[in-house]
Amino acid sequence: MKRIFHVTTFTFRELIRSKMLYIWLLSAIVFCLLAFLLSILSFGEVHKIFMDLGLVGMEWSGTLVLLLSLAVTYNTEFEQKSIYLQLAKPITRGEYLLGRVLGFFSVISLVVLGMGLLIAGLVAFVGGGQVSPMFFYSSVFLLIEMFVLTTLGLTFQMIGTSMVGVVLYSMFTIFLGHCVGQVEWLLNQNLAPAVKTVLRVVHFFLPNLEAFNLKDRIYDPNLIFGWEQWREVLLYGFTYSFVVFLIGWINLEKREFM
Amino acid sequence: MTSPAYAIQIKDLSKTYKTGFWLKPKVTHALKNLTLDVFEKEAFGLLGLNGAGKTTAIKIILGFLAPTHGSVSILGGKISDRQVRNQIGYLSELPYFSRQHTGRELLEYFGSLHGFSGSALSKRVYEVLELVRMTKAANDRVSGYSKGMLQRIGIGQALIGKPKLLICDEPMSGLDPVGYKEMRDIFIDLKKTGTTLFLNTHIMDEVERVCDRIGILHDGQLKEVALVPDVLQSSINIDYWVDVDSHDASKLSGVPFQKSVAEQNGMQISGLVLPETLTLLSQRQVKTKGVRPLSSVMEAYFLKTIGAQQPTPSERVSS
Repeated sequence: MKRIFHVTTFTFRELIRSKMLYIWLLSAIVFCLLAFLLSILSFGEVHKIFMDLGLVGMEWSGTLVLLLSLAVTYNTEFEQKSIYLQLAKPITRGEYLLGRVLGFFSVISLVVLGMGLLIAGLVAFVGGGQVSPMFFYSSVFLLIEMFVLTTLGLTFQMIGTSMVGVVLYSMFTIFLGHCVGQVEWLLNQNLAPAVKTVLRVVHFFLPNLEAFNLKDRIYDPNLIFGWEQWREVLLYGFTYSFVVFLIGWINLEKREFM
Repeated sequence: MTSPAYAIQIKDLSKTYKTGFWLKPKVTHALKNLTLDVFEKEAFGLLGLNGAGKTTAIKIILGFLAPTHGSVSILGGKISDRQVRNQIGYLSELPYFSRQHTGRELLEYFGSLHGFSGSALSKRVYEVLELVRMTKAANDRVSGYSKGMLQRIGIGQALIGKPKLLICDEPMSGLDPVGYKEMRDIFIDLKKTGTTLFLNTHIMDEVERVCDRIGILHDGQLKEVALVPDVLQSSINIDYWVDVDSHDASKLSGVPFQKSVAEQNGMQISGLVLPETLTLLSQRQVKTKGVRPLSSVMEAYFLKTIGAQQPTPSERVSS
C-alpha cells in the first residue's frame, strides 16, 4: 500500500507542476468570460447560465487535462523509458498502475473541483442566486466519470504503442461514450442483424458516459433522484473502472519493453 | 570446498523477435543460447558491438523482456520476486526522469520504493547525493540538469537501495572526461564494498580498470569469457603508429610489414615487428617523432574475438 501511495504522490507532483495545467486556468477564464457574456444577453437567471456553463467547463477542463497528461507522460514513461527505472524497483506492475491511476485522478479532481468552486462562487456572489444541491451532485457524478476516463486512458497507455494512438483511442472512447444513447436508439431500429450485432458489441464495451451526465437534467422537473440513482451510478462507475483496470494490469504484466 | 555464490546465472538463453507483416515476417535472433555465470562480489563487463544483444540480455535479466528459451536466476531467485529486486540497482543507458522533480525528490521517490522512510530515507538520500556529487544541485529541477548530472542522478537512484548487485547499461554514455572518471571511481569504490557489478559497455578503458572478468557478445552469441588480468597479460599483438618527420616520409617506402601509410607523417606497424622497424628507420636516418599504440590490449583482444580488424588512424579519428 505504501508503494502505491509513493507512486501516487510522485505522479501528482509530476502533473501538478506541469505547464499543461495552464490549460485549466485558460479554460476557467474562457468559461467565466463566456458566462458573463451570456448572462448579459439572457435577461435574468444569470446563476443558471453560470451553473450550466460551469458544469460543461468542469467536464471539458478535466477531459483536456487528462488527454494532455496522457500524452506527456506517455512520452516520459514509455518513449523516454523512465518506466524501466521504476519497474526495476521492488514494486509490482499492478501497484505501479494503481498509483498512476490515483495520481492522475487526484490532479483531475483538483482541476474539476477547483473549477466547481469558482463557479459556485460566481453563482453565489455575482449571479445573486443559490447554488442548487443538484450542482454538487452533478459535480460528484462528473468526478466518477473522470475516474472511469482516467482508468481507461491509463489502460490505453499500457496497451498503446504510440503517444498519438493513446490520445486518439481515449478521445474516440470519450466521444463514443457520450453517444451510447444514440447507439441504443439504433438498436431499437429495424437494422440488418449483422449491423445490430456490431452495435451490441460496441454498446457492451463502451463506457456509458451518459450515465454520469446529470448536468443536462438539473432543471428537469420530472427528474427522480435518490439513493437508487446514486447506487446505480456508483456501482456502474466503479465496476467498469475495475474491469478496465484489470485489463490494463494484465497488459502491463505481459508487456515487453523493447 | 564451498561452491561460488552466483549473482546471476543465465542458462541457454535465447530471444527471438518477430517483426514485419504476417505475409512477410522477419525473425531476428537477438540472443542465441547464452549461458553465463556472474559471481557475487565480482565486476563483470559484457562487451559487444551495437546490436550484439547486450541490452536484450539485461532486459531479460531484469524481466522487461521474456526469453524465447532458457532461464535466468538472479541472486538465487527470480526477478519477479520483490525481495530479489530490492537487492538490485539498475541504471539504464541515458536515464530519463520526469522533468518536474528535483534530484532530491527523485532519489526520495526511488528510495521509498525500496522501503526507506522518514529519517532513514533522508539519511540515505544525503549519502547518495554526496556519493554522486550532486548535493549542490539536489534541489534544482531535473529539467535544468546536464547529461552528466542526469547520469549521476541515474547512478544515484540505482544505488539508493544499497544494492548487492548493480546492473548498468552503458553507464559512461554522455559523460565528459571528469564525469567519466568520477563514475569509474564510484564503481571502484563499490567493488571495494563487495557490490557485484554487471556492466554492459563499449568503453575498453572502463573494463580494464573496473572489471574482473569480461564476456564478449557478438551477433547474440557469447564468444568468450576471460579474466581481465589474463587478457592484459596475453601476448596479443597490437598495432602502433610511428610518426616521422615530414621531410623523411619518402624514406618510408620499402620498409617491410607496414600496414598503412598516411600522407607524409608516418606508418602503421604491427607490434610484433616494432623493434626491428625502429632499428631499420634509424639505419635509414629517418627521424621518428613518436610511437603510439593504436589500440589497447583489451580493444585488440575484443576485435580479435569478434573477427574485426584493428582500426587505422583515420578510422579512429572519424569514429
